[in-house]
Amino acid sequence: MEPRGLWDQPPPPPEPEEAPVPPRREREREPEHPSGPTVLSVGAVTRLVRDTIRRQPRLNPVWVEGEIGNVSVSAAGHAYFTLKDERAQLRCVVFREERLALPLEPRTGLRVVAQGRIDVFEQQGAYQLYVETLQPAGVGDLAQRYEALKAQLTAEGLFDSSRKRPLPAWPRTIGVVTSPTGAVLHDMRRVIDRRWPLTRLIISPCQVQGAGAERSIVRALRRIGRWTDPDSGRAVDLVIVARGGGSLEDLWAFNEEAVVRAIATHPHPVIVGVGHETDVTLSEFAGDKRAATPSVAAELAVPDQFAQRQVLRALRSALASSARRRISSTRATVEAERRALETFRPGAYLAAERERAGLLLDRATRAVTARLLTDRSVLTRSSDRLPTALGTRTAAARAELTRNVAGLVALDPFATLERGYAIVRAPDGRVVIDAARERTGEPLEVRLARGALDVTVDAVRDSGS
Amino acid sequence: MTETTKPNPDTDGGTTPPDISAMPFDKALDELRAVVTRLEEGGLPLEESIALYERGAALHAHCGELLDAAELRVQRLVDEGTAGGSRVMDLSPEDGDEL
Repeated sequence: MEPRGLWDQPPPPPEPEEAPVPPRREREREPEHPSGPTVLSVGAVTRLVRDTIRRQPRLNPVWVEGEIGNVSVSAAGHAYFTLKDERAQLRCVVFREERLALPLEPRTGLRVVAQGRIDVFEQQGAYQLYVETLQPAGVGDLAQRYEALKAQLTAEGLFDSSRKRPLPAWPRTIGVVTSPTGAVLHDMRRVIDRRWPLTRLIISPCQVQGAGAERSIVRALRRIGRWTDPDSGRAVDLVIVARGGGSLEDLWAFNEEAVVRAIATHPHPVIVGVGHETDVTLSEFAGDKRAATPSVAAELAVPDQFAQRQVLRALRSALASSARRRISSTRATVEAERRALETFRPGAYLAAERERAGLLLDRATRAVTARLLTDRSVLTRSSDRLPTALGTRTAAARAELTRNVAGLVALDPFATLERGYAIVRAPDGRVVIDAARERTGEPLEVRLARGALDVTVDAVRDSGS
Repeated sequence: MTETTKPNPDTDGGTTPPDISAMPFDKALDELRAVVTRLEEGGLPLEESIALYERGAALHAHCGELLDAAELRVQRLVDEGTAGGSRVMDLSPEDGDEL
């Protein structure tokens, strides 16, 4: 059956066989009793009432708000009920065709707005509402309140993006304000368990619909806002406010000002996931993050362990390769230094070392020489008192010693100086052996056998000249 | 389970690095990132590089163990009555929906 719009349907015209024209018979009778009261038949009265009603434009069509009672559905599929308020009752009928097209099934206790026409059911002498459509009462009213509160809180800045707090990247404890029963909590637990089981969930249970839901939600928000872990002193890092899908009335508590304010001013960041994608409650504007559904809220709340495991793998390989690089760069450094040493060896480095060694040798040679000379004099003196045989051997040893000492003295560079040679040094201590390396005006030191001369290079001549 | 007798490794002043086994995931991951960055920047003595590498490897292992051993904890706030406070009650994974 084609669904019809709520209010745009013109009421069906009255049945043609019951034309709203008073029956001629009654009219013709009137002159017969000109003085006495006109006595009408039951049928006539009923038709008169019916016609009067039918001519009343305010009753045809009519919109009536009331509470449904005494619902019954006939075997033919027509529904009968009463609409009532504090003062009156109105009998209502919905024929099968209309009933099947209704957006809601008439149920006792439901407050509705019914649209139809008032007519009279002659057999029972009852006027009733022939219902064409039904819709929940208060929809227009709720929509108005929603818009008004939204405008007010927006003007107040409660929904400003500047108020939105960032969500913690690594929530260790998450408060969940929701109904402790039902699929919503179950679904969220499953999502968080799969994504980030390192979390601790603390449920702050509340009633999410019906009378008292508003106060219950606000209380649950305050409770989780105040809570701290008795051991660590830590509060929750994040709060999720969640509720599954439902009708506008079911979700209404999340449009109540007290709830909206409790979310906007909550001490911790709040994710709001209420209803389905299409439902936008004011609470969602007030939260720091809006989630289309409770499951999405759970996903937004925690990191994904699979992504994090990938991050860990990447860090591990970066760690390993940088450590490998560090070690191989050390090896390369050592190798480079070894090569550098090799390139130094035949050159200046070794020359300097050789010179240093030479100087040490000089000192050693002089010390040894001095020692030997003293020893010789001791020997000379003692040999005077030795027997001749022994004296002969001593003389041989002495000759030997003298030869040795002479050899040592010959090695002594200072002995060479004694022969008139000199050692020339540059200011940096380098021994000058190549004229081409020196520059005019350079100060040099000339070591002689005794003392030294500070001189200046007047000119450089190469070996050829 | 938290004893106040031992000094808190998180407080500043101490140069000894915090105990890895007690680190939450995010702190261990942060330090692991820092270790990798320092190693990648280079310029560290070999000894220090090796020590950093070992710390990084331990941090990595710790993060993996935390993920592998993790078990979602679900608890419920219960009003404490007259005091107006509330405490948490454990909720086993099975009975959640029966509340």
